[in-house]
Amino acid sequence: MARSGHIVSGFDRDLESIQALIMRMGGLVEESILKAATALETRDEDLAAEVRAGDKAIDALEEQLNEEAARILALRAPTARDLRIVLSVFRVSANLERIGDYSKNIAKRSSVIIQAPPINGTSASLRRMARAVELMLKDVLDAYIQRDADLAADVRARDQEGDQMYSALFREYLTFMMEDPRNITTTMHLHFMAKNIERMGDHVTSIAEQVIYLVTGEMPDDDRPKQDRTPYEQGTGG
Amino acid sequence: MNDMRAVERDVDIHELKMQARGVDVFYGDNHAIKSVDVDIEDKTVTAFIGPSGCGKSTFLRCLNRMNDTIDICRVTGDITLDTENIYDPKVDPVQLRAKVGMVFQKPNPFPKSIYDNVAYGPRIHGLSRNKAELDEIVERSLRRAALWNESKDRLGEPGTGLSGGQQQRLCIARAVATNPEVLLMDEPCSALDPIATAQIEELIDELRSQYSVVIVTHSMQQAARVSQKTAFFHLGELVEFGETKHIFTNPDDPRTESYITGRIG
Amino acid sequence: MTDATAAGVPDAPRKSSLYAADARTTRRNKAEKRFRAYGLSAVSLGLLALVLLLISILSNGLSSFRQTYITIPVTLSAERLDPAGNRDAAEMARVTTFGYVPLLGQSLVDYVAAAGIETELGAQEIGGLISGEAPAQVRARVLANPGLIGQTIQVDMLVGGRIDGFFKGRVSMDSAGRDSNVSPEQLLLAQALADEGAIVTRFNWRFITAPDASDTRPEAAGLGVAIIGSLYMMMIVLVLALPIGVASSIYLEEFAPKNRITDIIEVNISNLAAVPSIVFGILGLAIFINFAGLPQSAPIVGGLVLTLMTLPTIIIATRASLRAVPPSIRSAALGLGASKMQSVFHHVLPLAAPGILTGTIIGLAQALGETAPLLLIGMVAFVRDYPSAPLEGFFDPASALPVQVYNWTQRSDPAFVERASGAIIVLLVFLIFMNAMAVLLRRRFERRW
Repeated sequence: MARSGHIVSGFDRDLESIQALIMRMGGLVEESILKAATALETRDEDLAAEVRAGDKAIDALEEQLNEEAARILALRAPTARDLRIVLSVFRVSANLERIGDYSKNIAKRSSVIIQAPPINGTSASLRRMARAVELMLKDVLDAYIQRDADLAADVRARDQEGDQMYSALFREYLTFMMEDPRNITTTMHLHFMAKNIERMGDHVTSIAEQVIYLVTGEMPDDDRPKQDRTPYEQGTGG
Repeated sequence: MNDMRAVERDVDIHELKMQARGVDVFYGDNHAIKSVDVDIEDKTVTAFIGPSGCGKSTFLRCLNRMNDTIDICRVTGDITLDTENIYDPKVDPVQLRAKVGMVFQKPNPFPKSIYDNVAYGPRIHGLSRNKAELDEIVERSLRRAALWNESKDRLGEPGTGLSGGQQQRLCIARAVATNPEVLLMDEPCSALDPIATAQIEELIDELRSQYSVVIVTHSMQQAARVSQKTAFFHLGELVEFGETKHIFTNPDDPRTESYITGRIG
Repeated sequence: MTDATAAGVPDAPRKSSLYAADARTTRRNKAEKRFRAYGLSAVSLGLLALVLLLISILSNGLSSFRQTYITIPVTLSAERLDPAGNRDAAEMARVTTFGYVPLLGQSLVDYVAAAGIETELGAQEIGGLISGEAPAQVRARVLANPGLIGQTIQVDMLVGGRIDGFFKGRVSMDSAGRDSNVSPEQLLLAQALADEGAIVTRFNWRFITAPDASDTRPEAAGLGVAIIGSLYMMMIVLVLALPIGVASSIYLEEFAPKNRITDIIEVNISNLAAVPSIVFGILGLAIFINFAGLPQSAPIVGGLVLTLMTLPTIIIATRASLRAVPPSIRSAALGLGASKMQSVFHHVLPLAAPGILTGTIIGLAQALGETAPLLLIGMVAFVRDYPSAPLEGFFDPASALPVQVYNWTQRSDPAFVERASGAIIVLLVFLIFMNAMAVLLRRRFERRW
C-alpha cells in the first residue's frame, strides 16, 4: 500500500535510519553465524578469533539503536504504526545482540574443540543446524524490511525443525559420551554449541513475532509449536 | 476494555448521555457535516479530532444548538439528550443550554466581578432562592474548577484581571454553575501556556466523575491524554469512533492512521 | 570545488558595509523628510487659522463681559411717582417708564452740580448719558419696594451705549464729532464723572442673564433668553433622541434579519447624517408648524427638529459601540442559556454604554451649534421675556445661542459687534466643555479586550 511520508520529513529520515541500522546489524550477525560454523568445520582458529572480535561491532550497534530509538520516542511522540516500528526496534536489536553473543560463544568453544581430536560426523550436523538458523534469520530480516507477516509466520513455524535437530543431536551426544568417557569434554562443548544454536533459533522466532506485531498490531498468540522434548525425557540407556 | 484511569478514579459507568444519528449540517449550500452517528457516554471524556475545517467545532455546536444563532445554518437528523430530541420544536434552546454547558477557545469572562461571572447562569435560570444559596453555588462551582483558593479573597474583583489559565478556569466554573449534565469544550487550551494547559487537563479529568465532557482539540496528544473515546472527523464525515487507546495504537481506518501519524494535513 | 566555479557558478555576493549608506536608502530618507515637512506645514497652517480666528473673536468679544455703570443718588420724589399718595403698587404702576426719565435726568444734573463739574451741556444732554434701559429698572425696583418713595437712594444704572463704547475704546472724540447719538462734550462729562468715581466699568453678569434688548440699547443686551432656549432644546433632544436612537440601533444590530430591507434602512440612516441641516428646518416648518400647529419660535419645535438631525449621529455611534463589543461575550452569554434580549441588555449594552454616551454628547454639541434649521422655524424673532419653567416653557417663544449671534450681527449699532463676539465666546466655551467631556469619558471607560 503506497502511503505518503510524514509531513515533517525529518521523521521519515529518522525512521529510515533506524531501519537501516537494524539491517546492518542483522547483516553482521548473519555473517557472524556463518563464520562461526565455518570455523568449526574447517578447524580454522583465525576465523574463530575474527568472530569473537566482530561481536564488539554488534554490541556497539545495539547501543546506538537504543539511543536513536529513545530519541525518536522523546522527540517525535510516535503513534500507531510509527510507535510499533520504534518499539520493535528495541526488541529486535536486543534479540540480534543475543544471537550475536551466542555466535561468539560458539566461536570460543570452537577454539577449544579444534585443539582436541575430532569426533566424526558431529561438526557437519552442527553446521547444518547453523545454516538453517542463518537462513531463518535472513528470511526474518527480509520479512521485517518488507513488512511481510506471512513470511514471518513461516519462519516462526520453521523453528520446529531446529528444535528437532537439537533433540536428535542431544541423543547422539549422549551416545558418544556413554561410548567413550574420553569424549566427554569435547562432547560437552559440542552440546553447548548445539544449545546455543537452538537458542539462536528461538530469538529469531522472537524477531518474527515482532514483525507480525509490527504489521498487524497484535502479538501472535502463544501457540507456537515447540518440538524440543528434551526437558521432558528421562535418560536412556544404551 | 478497561481504562486504567477509570479503575483508578473508581468510575466506570458507561450509560449513553447523548446520541447523534444521521446528523447533517448545511451552511447555505455548503454541506458541512455529512450523516454523522456518534454516542456520547456519561461520565466519559469524548474527544473530537481532525484537521482544520473538518467540521468538529460545527458538530460540537450542534450539541447545544449554538448553531441556531447563525442564520444560514440548517441542521437535520436526530440528536438526543437522555432520549429527548433536542431539536424538537417544543424544546427551548435556552433551557437546553442550562443542561449542556459550553467553554470556548479564548477565555471570555464577562467584564464583571468573579462572583457575578459565576452567579450569572444560576441567576437567569432561577436556580437559587436567596443570597446564601447563590453564595454556595458560586463556591461550589469555583471549587469544582479548582479556582476557589486563588479567588476566595477577591470575589469582587473583575474576572478579566486573572491570568489566562485562571480565566479559563473561571469560564469552566461559570459553565458548571448551572449544574449541566454535559460540558462541551471547544479547544479550551489553545490560548494557554503549557502549565495552564496541564492544569486544565487535570481539571477535565476530575470533572469526568461528575459530567459527560466533549472536547474538540487540535492537539492529538491532548486528545490522547485526556479522553477515553475519540472521534476522528475528516471533511465533514466521522471517519472513525472508538476507544482512545485503540485509535492511537492501532486504528482501523487508514485515514485515521495517516492523520494521527502526521501524514496528512 | 574548482570544477564548479569553472563551470560558471556565480561568485558569492559581494558584502556591503552597513556603515555605508546606499543611494536608495538616502533617496527614501530624503523623501520621508520632505513628507514630514509637508505634514508639519499643513498642521501649522491649520493652527494658524485657528489662532487668528480666536484672536479675532477674543479681541472683539472679551469686552462684552465688562459693562459701564453709573452710581448716583436718586431722589424718588413722591409727587412724581406716587401722586395718589398711598404707596399702592397698582396705582403707582400707572406711572410709566417715561415718567421716570426726567427723574433720573434731574438726579444726574444735581449730582454734576454738586460735584462741581463744569459743563456746557443742558439737562437733556446730561440725562442722555444714562441708558434708556435704566428707567425701566428703577421703576421695577420701586414697584417692588413702594416704601422707597420719598427717599434718596444710591442707584446703579447702565450708561448709554456710546458712553460705554467710549470707556471701552470704541468711541473716540473724533468719532463722537461725527456721531449723531453722542457729542464730545458728553464724553468729557463722562470722563469727569469717572474721575469722580461715579462711573465704573466692571464685570457684567447681565450679559449672561439678561434678555435681549432693542437695537438702540446694546448696553442692556444679554444672552439670558438664548441660553435658556438652547438649554430647553438640548433637554428635548436628549430625552427624545437618546432612547429612540439607542433602541433603533439595538434592533438593527442585534435583532433585525440580515436582508435587503435592513440594508436599505442602514444606507438611508447613513445618508441622513449627511443631509444639510437647512433641509431639516424646512421639514420642521412643514410638519411641526404648518401641519401640527405647534407655536413658532418655541423650543419644542427647535428641539424636535434638532432631534431629527441628531438621531443619525446617535444611531451610527451606537452601532459602532455595539459592534465593538466582541462576539465572544455574546457567545458566552448565549452558551450559559441567556436569551438574546438578556445577553444584549445584561452584557452588550453596559459595555457599549461609554461609546453611546460619547456619541450622544458629540451629537448634542453639534445640535447646540446649529443655526440654519432654527432660522427657518422662526427662532430669529426678538424675544424679551424669559420662557417659563419646563413643559409649558417649551411652548413659549424663545431664542437660541447661535441664532442670537446671527441676530446681533444683523444690527446696525457697532456695539452689537462686541455683543455678538461675546456670544460666540460663550457658545465656544459650552462646545469645548462638551467635547472635552466626551473625550474624557471615552478615555476613562475605554477598554482593551
